[in-house]
Amino acid sequence: MHIEISVPSLLSDCTNGQVKFSVEAEKLKDALSKMLETYPLLRKHLYNEEGDLRQHVLIYYNSENIVQMERLDITLQPGDRIHVLQAVSGG
Amino acid sequence: MGKRVMLLVGTNKGLFFYTSDHERQNWNLSGPYLSGWEVYSVLGDSRHGNRIFAGTSHAAYGPTIRVSDDFGSSWTQIEDGPSYSKESGFSLNRIWQIIKGHSSEPDTLYAGVEEAGLFVSRDRGATWRELEGLTKHSSRPNWFPGAGGMCLHTILIHPSNPHRIWVAMSAVGVFRTDDGGETWITCNKGLGRVPTGQPYDEVGYCIHKMTLDPNDSNTLYMQEHGGVFKSTDGADSWFPIEDGLNVSNNDPFGFPICTSNTGDSFLIPLESSEKRTMRDGKLLVYGMLKGSDRWEPIGDVVPNEQQHVNVLRDAATVDTLDPYGLYFGTTSGEVFYSLDRGKNWGRLPGQLSRILSVKMWILED
Repeated sequence: MHIEISVPSLLSDCTNGQVKFSVEAEKLKDALSKMLETYPLLRKHLYNEEGDLRQHVLIYYNSENIVQMERLDITLQPGDRIHVLQAVSGG
Repeated sequence: MGKRVMLLVGTNKGLFFYTSDHERQNWNLSGPYLSGWEVYSVLGDSRHGNRIFAGTSHAAYGPTIRVSDDFGSSWTQIEDGPSYSKESGFSLNRIWQIIKGHSSEPDTLYAGVEEAGLFVSRDRGATWRELEGLTKHSSRPNWFPGAGGMCLHTILIHPSNPHRIWVAMSAVGVFRTDDGGETWITCNKGLGRVPTGQPYDEVGYCIHKMTLDPNDSNTLYMQEHGGVFKSTDGADSWFPIEDGLNVSNNDPFGFPICTSNTGDSFLIPLESSEKRTMRDGKLLVYGMLKGSDRWEPIGDVVPNEQQHVNVLRDAATVDTLDPYGLYFGTTSGEVFYSLDRGKNWGRLPGQLSRILSVKMWILED
């Protein structure tokens, strides 16, 4: 399953200049892992030393904030999207 | 060969270059580069080709070092840049300083970071490791930040001994190593403590900026939160040098200090710690010329204009040409320069964002 991921333009130098790209995965958690494996610099900018999402970074699965989801090992559906966003609290 | 000079100006919204020839009369502005990123530190390095290192950070996305080998046309991030381990418990928030290593170590760079720590690269910036002796110092549990964050903002290397390095941190103090960074001692005797709330007097000193006298490597100068100080014994002890700063009830407060290769030092005092803008709106540069022990208000930068601004700790510099040039940038995004030891000042073109760092790079074309 191809899933489309969008990232803020400020981080496009981590993703070969792209603000949208696709990864191949069956589960949401695998898609997130693939994103970080493919573009390892994203990990520095999205996650802190503890391995937690940075305070002012949001990742949405369609319209759901992933930190508020009970589980990430859900099967992806055609048309699903992942959006990496800067929270408004981050400036 | 002719000389080309580039003034590298880091702001909270990107990096800008002012370029001129060695006469420094006409300047061309280019940028922004790295638009949207804070650039707390920048270094032009000509030891192996021409490379610019920029310490970039963002409130949401954290810090990395970015490099350009084509004067800003393209940039790459260093993947193995400074980073703290999960086990350290520290957070890397900004890159406050990037400097070249000692002249005998042409592949070496140092980076000072927030939370305070020191990193070294021995391979021209490709990989970095923390000099853990500093953050494992016994005083570390009592380190506290100043208003700007707990930053290691100054790194000075002894000119003939690459193993002797001084660092300054806010609001921690001065530390010195004599073994290349493996072990450190505190060097804060004589300084004034600031209210960090902790009782241990080994640390708790809010150093704003520190310089090394280019002609005497035992002499250092410092703008500190509570005054201006000098050391003549390699930072073993400090004493105030405040004559002429004309303060009434406040300590001489300011952020930058810079020292020319002829031994002249310059300050830009502010009203007070509480107000942090120019006294009465007058943008005055004070100088203590070599051989003097008194500060003089050398330059009224814009005599007919109110300037209720600040100049941050790394936003002033002096070049190494003859005559030397002085440069600083304000929190309102203007850059000023003087080519006559601070007496007369010009304003460079452009209104930038809040200026965080100003560094000179002299290139042989």
